[in-house]
Amino acid sequence: MTLIIVLIVVALIGYVILTYNRLIAQIETIRNNQKQIDIQLDRRFKVFESLINVVKKYMDYEKTTLKDVVALRNQAQQAKEAGDEKTRIAAENQISTIASHLNVVFEQYPDLKANQNCIQLQEEIVSTENKLAYAKQAYNDSIETYNATKKSFPTTVIVTGFRNKLDFEYAYWQLTEQKIAEQEAYTVKL
Amino acid sequence: MSNHLGQFETGTADWRKILRQNNRRTLIVITLFFLIYCTIGILVDMYLYSSTYSNASLSQLFFALITFTLFPVATVIMLIIAAISLWVSYLLSDKLMLLGTHYHEITSETAQNVNEQQLYNVIEEMKIAAGLRYMPKVYIIDANYMNAFASGYSEKSAMVAITRGLMEKLNRDELQAVMAHELSHIRHLDIKLTLTAALLANMTIMVLDILFYNAIFSNRRSSSRSKNSLFTIIIILRFILPIISVILLLYLSRTRELMADAGSVELMRSNQPLASALLKIHDDHNQHRDQYNTQYQQTPHENVRREAYLYDPSYAGIQSISSIGDLFSTHPSLETRLAALGIKRKLS
Repeated sequence: MTLIIVLIVVALIGYVILTYNRLIAQIETIRNNQKQIDIQLDRRFKVFESLINVVKKYMDYEKTTLKDVVALRNQAQQAKEAGDEKTRIAAENQISTIASHLNVVFEQYPDLKANQNCIQLQEEIVSTENKLAYAKQAYNDSIETYNATKKSFPTTVIVTGFRNKLDFEYAYWQLTEQKIAEQEAYTVKL
Repeated sequence: MSNHLGQFETGTADWRKILRQNNRRTLIVITLFFLIYCTIGILVDMYLYSSTYSNASLSQLFFALITFTLFPVATVIMLIIAAISLWVSYLLSDKLMLLGTHYHEITSETAQNVNEQQLYNVIEEMKIAAGLRYMPKVYIIDANYMNAFASGYSEKSAMVAITRGLMEKLNRDELQAVMAHELSHIRHLDIKLTLTAALLANMTIMVLDILFYNAIFSNRRSSSRSKNSLFTIIIILRFILPIISVILLLYLSRTRELMADAGSVELMRSNQPLASALLKIHDDHNQHRDQYNTQYQQTPHENVRREAYLYDPSYAGIQSISSIGDLFSTHPSLETRLAALGIKRKLS
C-alpha cells in the first residue's frame, strides 16, 4: 500500500517538473522569436544598403524613394532607443511599402533590370520581407502554444503555484485598428 | 494561381485537426509495435520456462512473467538489444539517403545562380517560420525528374535534397511549399520515427524466426502440453506478423506524409502552393513517364529513398518497386492528399 502511495507521489512530482520545464522552454522560445523579428529588420536594412550602392550607378538615387529608406531606418533606430515601439513599427512598415514597389521603379531602367547583382538583390529583398513576415508568424505561433499550455487543465494549477516564474502575458504581434482599416481600403493605383 | 488548379475547387485546410489526428495515429502505431515486440519477448520467455516448469499451463506462465514472479530474462535482453541497435543506427546512416546520386551542396555563399540562391532563401524562410534552431544542409541532385526528400535524425544533422528539375520548374511559392513539406518532416522527426518503427518490426520478425526454427528442431518429442500449444502460436505468428508489420509501417508512412502536408500549410498559411506544386509534379511525371522511368531505375538505391520522397513516382505509373493497391503504398493517393489540403476536383 505504501509502495503505491510513494509511486503516485513520485509520478506527481515528475509531472510537475516536466510541465514546469516545458513552460520555461516555451517562454524562452517566445523571447527568442521576438528577437528574431529584430534580427530580420536589421538584416533587411543591410540588404537595402547594398541595393542602394548598386542602384547609384544607374539612376539618380536622390530622386527615388530609396533615399527614404535611410531616413526611415534612422527614425526607427531612434524610436527603438527611446523605447517608442509605435513609431518604430510605423517606420519599419513604411520601408516594407517601399520594398513592395521596387519592381515598378526598376522597370524604368532596363540596364539596371539586367544587372546580375541587382537581380540577386531583388531576390534578397523578397526573401527578407518574407523572413520578416515568417518571423512574426513564428512569434505568434509560439505565443499560441504557450497560452494553450498555460491555460489548459491541469497545467493551470501548476502555473498558479509558480506565478512569477511561469505566468507571463505576451501580446500577439498585430497591426493597430487604424492600420488595418487603412490596409483594407488600400488598392493599387497604377 | 496557375492553371494547374483550374479544374479544382479550392477550400481551406484545417491543418490543426490533421496534425492532431495523425499524431494520435502515430502514437497508436508506435505503441502497437512496442507491445508486439514485448509480446514476442514474453513468448520467448514462456518457451524457455516451459521446459523447466513442464506442468504449468500457458496462462500460469504468462501471469508469472508479467507479474515478475518469474523474471522475463529474454524480454529484458531483447529490450536492451533494441535500445543499443537504435542508438547505433541514430549515430550512423546520415549519408545513407544520398547513396548513388550525383549531388552537390549549396550554401548562401556557394549559390551559383539566382535559382540556387532562391532555393536557399525559401528554405531559410521556412526554417524561420518553423522555428528550427539549425539550418538544414541543402543538396541539389542532378536529375531532371521533379522530386525532393528530407533526412536526418535530429534538427542538427538534418538535410534536404531536391532535384534540379524541381528547382527549375516550380515557381517561388510552389518551391517554398515543397520545402515547407520537407522541413515539416524534419521538425516532426519523421525519419527517426520511421526508422525506429522499422527496426522494431525487423527485430521482432528476426526473434520470431529464431524461435520458430528452434521450436521445429527441438520439439519433435515434446513432453509438455503447454509447449505444444506454444508451438502452434509461434507458427501462426510467424506467417501473420510480417504482414501486419508491413501494413502498420506503411500506414505510419502515409500518416506522416499527411502530417508533413499539413505542416506545409501551417508554415505557409496557404494550401494552394503545395496543391499546385503536387499537380505540376504529377503532370510532369505523366508527360515524361518513359524518360523518368529509366532515370529512376538507373539510380541505384532508389528504394532507400522511396518512402522519403515528396512525390511517389508510382502515382504516374512509374514503379521502381511493385506496389499492390492503397493498403501497400508508402504515400496516400494524390486525391487523398489534395482532399486533406481542402482541394477537390470540380464536378463537370
